[in-house]
Amino acid sequence: MSRRFNLVLTGVGGQGLITLGRLIGEACIRAGLNVTVAEVHGMSQRGGSVIVHVRIGEGDSPVIPVGGAHHIIAMEVLEAGRSVRYANKDTVMVVNDLILPPPLAKYPGKKDVIEALKSKLGRVYLYDAEGVSKRIMGTPISSNIALLGFSLGVNPALEDLIGKTDVEKAIEAIFKGKALELNMKVFEEAFKEGKASVGG
Amino acid sequence: MNPILARKGETVLLMGNEAIARGALESGICMAAAYPGTPSTEIVETLSEVAKDLKIWVEWSVNEKVAFETAYAAAISGVKSLTAMKHVGLNVAADILMSSAYAGVKAGFVVVSADDPGHHSSQNEQDNRWYGFISHIPVVEPSSPREAYYYTKESFKLSEKYGHPIILRTTTRISHTRQPVTLDEDLPESPVCKGVFEKAIDRWVLVPGHARKLKMKLLEVWRKIQYDTGEPFAKIINPGMKDVIIASGIAYSHVEEALRILGLESKVTVLKINMPVPVPRKPVEEVLRNAERVLVVEELDPVVEKQVKSISSELGFGCKIYGKEYVPENDELSLQVVYNGLCRFFDKCDPSIWESVGDLKIEPTIPPRPPVLCPGCPHRSSYYIVKTALNKAGIRNVIFTGDIGCYTLGFQKPFETQMTSFEMGGAIGVAHGLSKVVDEAIVAVVGDSTFYHAGIPGVINLVFNKGRAIPLILDNSITAMTGHQPHPGTGVTAVGEPTARIMPEDVLKAVGFETYLINPLKVKESINTLGKALEEFKSGKNIAIISRARCALEVLRDARKTKTVLPVYKVDPEKCTGCMACVNLSACPALVVDPDSRKPVIIEDLCAGCGLCASICPFKAISTANTPSQDWEKLW
Repeated sequence: MSRRFNLVLTGVGGQGLITLGRLIGEACIRAGLNVTVAEVHGMSQRGGSVIVHVRIGEGDSPVIPVGGAHHIIAMEVLEAGRSVRYANKDTVMVVNDLILPPPLAKYPGKKDVIEALKSKLGRVYLYDAEGVSKRIMGTPISSNIALLGFSLGVNPALEDLIGKTDVEKAIEAIFKGKALELNMKVFEEAFKEGKASVGG
Repeated sequence: MNPILARKGETVLLMGNEAIARGALESGICMAAAYPGTPSTEIVETLSEVAKDLKIWVEWSVNEKVAFETAYAAAISGVKSLTAMKHVGLNVAADILMSSAYAGVKAGFVVVSADDPGHHSSQNEQDNRWYGFISHIPVVEPSSPREAYYYTKESFKLSEKYGHPIILRTTTRISHTRQPVTLDEDLPESPVCKGVFEKAIDRWVLVPGHARKLKMKLLEVWRKIQYDTGEPFAKIINPGMKDVIIASGIAYSHVEEALRILGLESKVTVLKINMPVPVPRKPVEEVLRNAERVLVVEELDPVVEKQVKSISSELGFGCKIYGKEYVPENDELSLQVVYNGLCRFFDKCDPSIWESVGDLKIEPTIPPRPPVLCPGCPHRSSYYIVKTALNKAGIRNVIFTGDIGCYTLGFQKPFETQMTSFEMGGAIGVAHGLSKVVDEAIVAVVGDSTFYHAGIPGVINLVFNKGRAIPLILDNSITAMTGHQPHPGTGVTAVGEPTARIMPEDVLKAVGFETYLINPLKVKESINTLGKALEEFKSGKNIAIISRARCALEVLRDARKTKTVLPVYKVDPEKCTGCMACVNLSACPALVVDPDSRKPVIIEDLCAGCGLCASICPFKAISTANTPSQDWEKLW
């Protein structure tokens, strides 16, 4: 059975998920891999749930089966909870340490969601991507790049597929000038923190 | 450099829509016209970004019918052209679509219909392949974004070969998926941009006498396409098996992977179809001849299935043909859905595949996150102002008819200012009709772009036929829903050239409305203005309201560019009583309730500084947290 590596990116509209999907797609081209990057979002430009399906390897069918994700990057805690249906017991999940409650809604606390996730999955990492982005960029705008860097750091299967240099080349292709320099730093820093958190 | 301009041999990551744009450019188009609509928008958006460099004409037309007419005019003069629209957009252009098949074209002409199975951003999920039958126009359907590039070019070739329009049908999952595409041609040095209009009255003037003759020709072309077309629109993979799968468009991609997972690639013949209408006869006959069991896999309606069954029955083949028994007729297909269908068909299911850990069990449950109006969206303020003014004027139980755009989200609480939403421009026509049969006051809510698209005939009819409704134009000076394309009120064209600015108030005045213009950022002032307007309405006058402030996303973008500091608001916890008026009346995503203090706080990174919450707060507990630039209001 030929397998494709299935990467789910999830979060809230406006958080840079589409850019992250594009970046991973560009990295795959540099790694010589086929990829499909499918953006699933509803009506609104901002504020709704967004999920991007990245499938790496031969084939054109773009949407990841429920239970079929190898790795999940969640840019927001509630969306992490929502995306767990794509996970199986071996899925690695990296969650941004940020909660954005929808207006006028009751919602569970951050800790409760993370605990519930950990009870289902063996490997769940809560990562303060905003922290590293704010430290280097001054804004949370590069949290997406930080989460990718951290993911490569903690998941060797992902790193084996698209190497750190492939991502760096993709960052070079997408950003220019100061933004390029700072995003590289964010990526590097988050990658190191990922490695450190798994004792690498 | 824009990836769409990359050289031959390069591999670039293209979204399906970008791939179509590139394919059309390689084919030599010099004209593209469209009205934006998800999932089709990025085709002409991509072309508009490179139009000036390539010296081709690209426009956002006021609606799909006008876009179609514009592009078709080029094609009947010998200039290759493209028009693109979402599935429901083709309904708007259906009139000219039918006629275009009769008269044909002098140069390649491709109509892209981007359908939306699963209705991610549409009012329905109609399968536009049927349009191929009604109009006798072949429908080409790619199986992947990469193939969208390839089949765009094949569609132009087919169009040129038969002098006939071609529908290129994609679906959301192809239009909005990115894939590496290796470019196999450079862009032509100089596409043909000057045409000649030949006065062939018997071809272009569809009076019955001419149309009768043209219909005969049309049927001849239709049959030729049906019987002469094989590769590249149909491909038989692993021929000679008794089990056959026929898969059209993206369904093929799911079938290909599902068969690999099931380990059945060598045991099944697959007929890959990239022209579902009319289905190429010869390859279908060939696979049916030896088949025992056939499964047709396609997204939405049984378009190919019905044709295959008809061919089989016509030729007396004995095979059993299945389709919708195994593959659902609603929603979009996926690998998982197709796998489930195939494993039942072959009685070879593996229940352990993709074993999900299931949903989280947690209290309170994770709330749904429906799309909402953005923080700072002027529509939020407009709704608050209009509802408050109506209330103050003693006008109760107001019926709000609605339309298609960001502002449709006003159907949600706390606004509930869209009680209908059917199609572009529908708000005003429906309001008119209701006004003839109900007693309540009616407000017809329509956006600026939608007003130009299909609202203007409605307002004319409203006055002419003595309807009683208040058109409320929410004018954020851009087509915001689809990603900020310009329209006749914007003052720039698709490629950024300055042009005439046509204001809704001028149109409304000309039609016969007393028009009241408000700035939704000035809440109190606007409520007062509308008070006067509503008195006029009560006295029997035709009034229209225009609420004008730019889209907050555009304002935020311009603020970043010009380094303008916009106001950011904060809640003073001392003055705040926790009454929740700000949260309950504005539903702004930047306002969240702190679980500890049970009082609202404003997320600074999200606040766009519209100030609505400060206007609402009865305790004056909300004020600016920073010192905004002096001229920040100019950006709105």
